[in-house]
Amino acid sequence: MHRMYALKMSGVSFVYEGAEGHALDDISVSIDEGEFVTVLGANGAGKTTLAMLSNGLIPHAIKGTLEGSVKVFGYDISKHTVAQLSTLVGMVFQEPESQLFCMSVEEEVAFGPENLAIPRDELFKRVEWALDLVGLKGLNERSPATLSGGQKQRLAIAAALAMRPKMLVLDEPAYALDPVGRIELYALLRSLTEKHGMAVLLMDRDSENILEFSDKVVLMNSGRILTVAPPSEILRDIRNFRAIRVPPPQIFEIASLLNSRLTGVDFSFTTLDEAEAELLSRVPSLPRRGDTR
Amino acid sequence: MIPKPGADRSKRMIEMDNVGFTYEAGVEALRSVSLKISSGEFLAIVGGNGSGKTTLAKLMNGLLRPSSGSIKISGAPAESQSIAELSKTVGYCFQNPDHQLFCTSVEDEVMFGPKNLGIGLEESRERMERALSLMGIFSLKTMSPFSLSLSERRRVTIASILAMTPQVMILDEPTTGLDADESSELMALIRKLNADGRTIILITHEMKLVAEHADRVIILSDGHILLDSDVRGAFSDLEILKASRLLPPPVTLLASRISSIGISRDLLTSDEFVFELSRRYGSR
Amino acid sequence: MKGVFDLYTARDTFLHRLDPRVKILAVLFLSLLGFIMTNLIPLFTLLCFIILLLYLTRSTFSKAYFALKFVLRLMVLITVLWPLFDQSGTPVLAALGPIKITEPAIWRGLTSAIRIGCLATVWYILMFTTTQRDLVRALVKMGLRYDFGLALAISLRFIPTFGFTIESIKDAQRARGLEFDKGSIIRRSKNYIAVLIPAVVYALRTAETLSLSLQSRAYGARKDRTYMREIRMRSSDLVSLVIVVLLFAIPAVAKFVFGAAI
Repeated sequence: MHRMYALKMSGVSFVYEGAEGHALDDISVSIDEGEFVTVLGANGAGKTTLAMLSNGLIPHAIKGTLEGSVKVFGYDISKHTVAQLSTLVGMVFQEPESQLFCMSVEEEVAFGPENLAIPRDELFKRVEWALDLVGLKGLNERSPATLSGGQKQRLAIAAALAMRPKMLVLDEPAYALDPVGRIELYALLRSLTEKHGMAVLLMDRDSENILEFSDKVVLMNSGRILTVAPPSEILRDIRNFRAIRVPPPQIFEIASLLNSRLTGVDFSFTTLDEAEAELLSRVPSLPRRGDTR
Repeated sequence: MIPKPGADRSKRMIEMDNVGFTYEAGVEALRSVSLKISSGEFLAIVGGNGSGKTTLAKLMNGLLRPSSGSIKISGAPAESQSIAELSKTVGYCFQNPDHQLFCTSVEDEVMFGPKNLGIGLEESRERMERALSLMGIFSLKTMSPFSLSLSERRRVTIASILAMTPQVMILDEPTTGLDADESSELMALIRKLNADGRTIILITHEMKLVAEHADRVIILSDGHILLDSDVRGAFSDLEILKASRLLPPPVTLLASRISSIGISRDLLTSDEFVFELSRRYGSR
Repeated sequence: MKGVFDLYTARDTFLHRLDPRVKILAVLFLSLLGFIMTNLIPLFTLLCFIILLLYLTRSTFSKAYFALKFVLRLMVLITVLWPLFDQSGTPVLAALGPIKITEPAIWRGLTSAIRIGCLATVWYILMFTTTQRDLVRALVKMGLRYDFGLALAISLRFIPTFGFTIESIKDAQRARGLEFDKGSIIRRSKNYIAVLIPAVVYALRTAETLSLSLQSRAYGARKDRTYMREIRMRSSDLVSLVIVVLLFAIPAVAKFVFGAAI
């Protein structure tokens, strides 16, 4: 079966109108259908710019100089309107507050499909489907203002899903969530990929808890892509993280530090369970230091 | 614990006795909260959304008045002092700098606070310059706050509170939106403020921050204090942390899981962990 | 905070079930009636009718109080002040120097007060019984351009949020020693600049992200957009509409065609 690219960028450069530097500098990257890709980078790396290219907001809504080609599911974004692209790519922004503007959960989810003149009975079906998918079933009549931060973000995702896109792009969606909420959100997104074949493109500046959900990781710095690789490869060299000025996941950092400080060890754990197993089995057999307190 | 210069540990800056707070709509945000904060402490107040941490902080500078119980600031009852008066002792820096910035230049912005307190132009200017230097943004003095990056805007708002020379500084999620480098630079500046003798109260839900910088932590859940202890002690109580939707840093979880090989449970940073292990095992 | 801005109270009354378009028209017609009536007794009857309808909305006491307290004060004020400015007619009841209090003036003042009372309170019948969603939907169905309807809906939805942000801004400035309730009028107005500017910045930023959000969800893609929420006129709604029209037409005709003292 011929697998299509969900997103394909070739030689893309972008300068915001009135700005000096390149927000994106000769970027080439591709994302397959049904892939879960995380883009990691510090502030100013170009993640948001990349996100907004994927559904055409750049160049149609946001002005600047664009070079190179960006295609989603085969469609050139500069040749199609944001509205057309919205049926392929759903977008979720950082702050739920400024992307939820309806009086009820139901209205919010229905808004997109209504704009596409989807027939009424189909509207109802889509709303139920989307709400069910994100775990907000039954909250149709609620006012979004009464929802918790995590629920608001889920609502924003449901609103994007109702357009039946094939790829979901999220720009730092866990920004306003507490640590437990973050993990719940990523798990939800992962289930969308696994159960519904949806491609997910996630931007983040925190590497903790995200790598285990990803198929591929893109490391960005100063508008450039440094590496594109599966998490297992990224987690072989701690310098990958230093290069993008993002702290590595702490467990991985510990493995790296131990490998450089102790002789005769080569730890490769990346998760808590792996670390526990490896340390408990390896450490007791290591030579003990002479002076113990 | 290294004693900090200029800190009179016996001075009680904030005392709360059985304080409760209920919002107008009838929501009980805080119940029987009692605590004592001494000068020079570096305290973190943590809790999930809705735990009451913001309410607690606002009670400390008079933005909110308790529904029950009593509060003393610097030994005197809080109710007898207006918010403006209290701001001389307890500074509150809000999370979103854009809710505060409105002047055409950074210097005007930072002098705003002292001027409100009736401090003369000359001294306001001196204080402003000192505050800007403390926050490492003296070079931005004449720039417009609106043209600055988030990290810079954050520093401007902290400087504007510093210029009022409060003994206590409450900082509400100061690292939100900052990346790792910006965050550690800011925390280093905040630690310096603490080393100079100021009491720092950090409101956050990021446990890494607490582990790396705070001496003491108060964990709030559902309006009351679940735990009030030194940071190391707090992190070893994993059950309480789970109950308040907080995650201890992975290193602490790992340490507790492998404690059987003889390293202590209460390790807070990767460096501590590695140091501990390499102290006992592995030849040089 | 939210209660003040959301006047709607969910209840299952006849008025709640009435098609919002009929309610809008009813309120319009009743207001019009309040304009064309000039005599005390008919106006007073109208006011009683409106109060009865308000009672039937079964709104909460706090919202009803909110609606009525300002109007009541205004009505009393008008009644009391009117005779001081309207000196014509006889008999004169009292005189204080150049000021004459005449009996007809008192009645005219009362009449005007009652008219203001009608006009000010009739709209609450609509607001108490109609959700903002239905209100906007009705207006769009009656001819308002969808764009304007959406702008109206979004503005209404953001009022509480905006209010919340303003409070947050005020708190941040209070923590910097700014006192909002002290000083001269000039001083207090200047103080509000410290609230106005961050508020405007916030509004502009929110508008920008909202705009991107709307576009990402294909806003404006098609002119023939569909609506999940439909409002359909039932026969009972049509009957109510006819009654409303008659309620207006009968007094109007009686007054203008037959010269009745209405």
